[in-house]
Amino acid sequence: MKTDSAPVKKNRKFLGHGIPHVKLDELAGKLIVVEGADGSGRSTQIARLVDWLETRGHATVPVGLKRSTLVSSELEKAQEGNILSRTTLSLFYATDFADQLENIILPALKAGFIVLADRYIYTLMARDMVRGMDEAWLKNVYGIALEPDAVFYLSLEPEELVQRNLSKSAALDYWESGMDLGLSRDMFDSFVKYQAAMQAVFRRLQKTYNFTIVDANRSVEAVTKQLRKEIRVLLGEE
Amino acid sequence: MKTFAELNFPGRLIAVEGLDGSGKSTQIYLLKRWLEAEGIKVYFSSWNSSELVKSATSKGKKRELLTPTTFSLIHATDFADRYERHLLPLLRAGYIVLCDRYVFTAFARDVTRGCPPDWVRGIYNFAAKPDLTMFFKTDLEVSLNRILEGRPKLKFFEAGMDLRLSSDPYESFRIFQGRILEQYMAMSGEFDFVVIDANQHVEKQQAFVRKLVGEKIDLSKFKRRSPLPLPPAFPLDPAKEAEEDMAA
Repeated sequence: MKTDSAPVKKNRKFLGHGIPHVKLDELAGKLIVVEGADGSGRSTQIARLVDWLETRGHATVPVGLKRSTLVSSELEKAQEGNILSRTTLSLFYATDFADQLENIILPALKAGFIVLADRYIYTLMARDMVRGMDEAWLKNVYGIALEPDAVFYLSLEPEELVQRNLSKSAALDYWESGMDLGLSRDMFDSFVKYQAAMQAVFRRLQKTYNFTIVDANRSVEAVTKQLRKEIRVLLGEE
Repeated sequence: MKTFAELNFPGRLIAVEGLDGSGKSTQIYLLKRWLEAEGIKVYFSSWNSSELVKSATSKGKKRELLTPTTFSLIHATDFADRYERHLLPLLRAGYIVLCDRYVFTAFARDVTRGCPPDWVRGIYNFAAKPDLTMFFKTDLEVSLNRILEGRPKLKFFEAGMDLRLSSDPYESFRIFQGRILEQYMAMSGEFDFVVIDANQHVEKQQAFVRKLVGEKIDLSKFKRRSPLPLPPAFPLDPAKEAEEDMAA
């Protein structure tokens, strides 16, 4: 096993205005993002990556959406009641993200950790874009975000996603089915339509943000193998 | 930034801005009482008051969890909630909406805290411009004395302690308020603030405020159509009424 620390990313940058007073060249760790719908295997892959990375001597920190100390419980409550309008919900999520960015992600990167993000701003932007919010406005708000070292988008056809979700919990999630959009009163139809729309937005975002699209319609092992290979390159271990 | 009138809303929005201790809340309260007495459809909204976001904001403040970025975003969330759920529908319904602080408070405070001005303005670009913005300008010392006299214990964020301007809360508050005032003055022209000399007597200011509102807005268009021609069946309890006003 190599003991040298990975090379510090040369052109570290924020996606927009960023966070005031952050010294980017001090962020020695790596920020690795895994994006994808529920049922795409995100959590499974992240768990496997954590095992693998820690076995290889890397310290890791997990982050995800709706996990901040500041607003996660309030956000959860607001979502259950579906009482917030679009801009408000969007800003609430942005607050949740910013809290984790400043209190977990940036300090961990400074300490040389590998931060594994179970979704990042791209999901937040895509959800809002599907709901007709202004892309320029979203880009400004999420200009606070640090550009990740890698973004893996686990791509899976909506028809396959729906099967996986149903086999996991025998039910579809209200929000993951985009039921608030009124695409269809039938949850199955709504899920498929909504996920297809999300996928279309992700493809568009991919051109701007340069994700690695990973075909998730393969065995867990095959996907893990690809992720490991990409991450080894990133860490300068290959 | 277009006003609600320019956007063809039937309602009108009047905002007051100023430092803590400038007396703006008293002035907008008196304006509200006058409009109510005139039978105008009026609604009052204060900064930082969305029920939903409140618990997160107060937790953040109490436990000093907020950074300039999260401070800015959580206040924007609060504002968006009030804007989308209260202000917009009321303005569509032809109300005169009175706001004790509006987006300019965020522009002044967040930029003072170090957030990029373009970023903050971009976040709030869903909000239209008030039809009238009154800025209550006191000498810095006057507003400082009003606050520091009446309420000697300053809260952490209120005093700008997060900026590490001074380890003394009073000194920190002074510097912080001074910087906010600079930010306000710098945007005054851009957003057409009507600057009111808040060193004057309360009555004199209020007379000016009412005259200004009457000139700017054709109040006859905002009269409430009385649903019942009958006088109230019960004598009104003035104490209870005052309480309800305060709670509003």
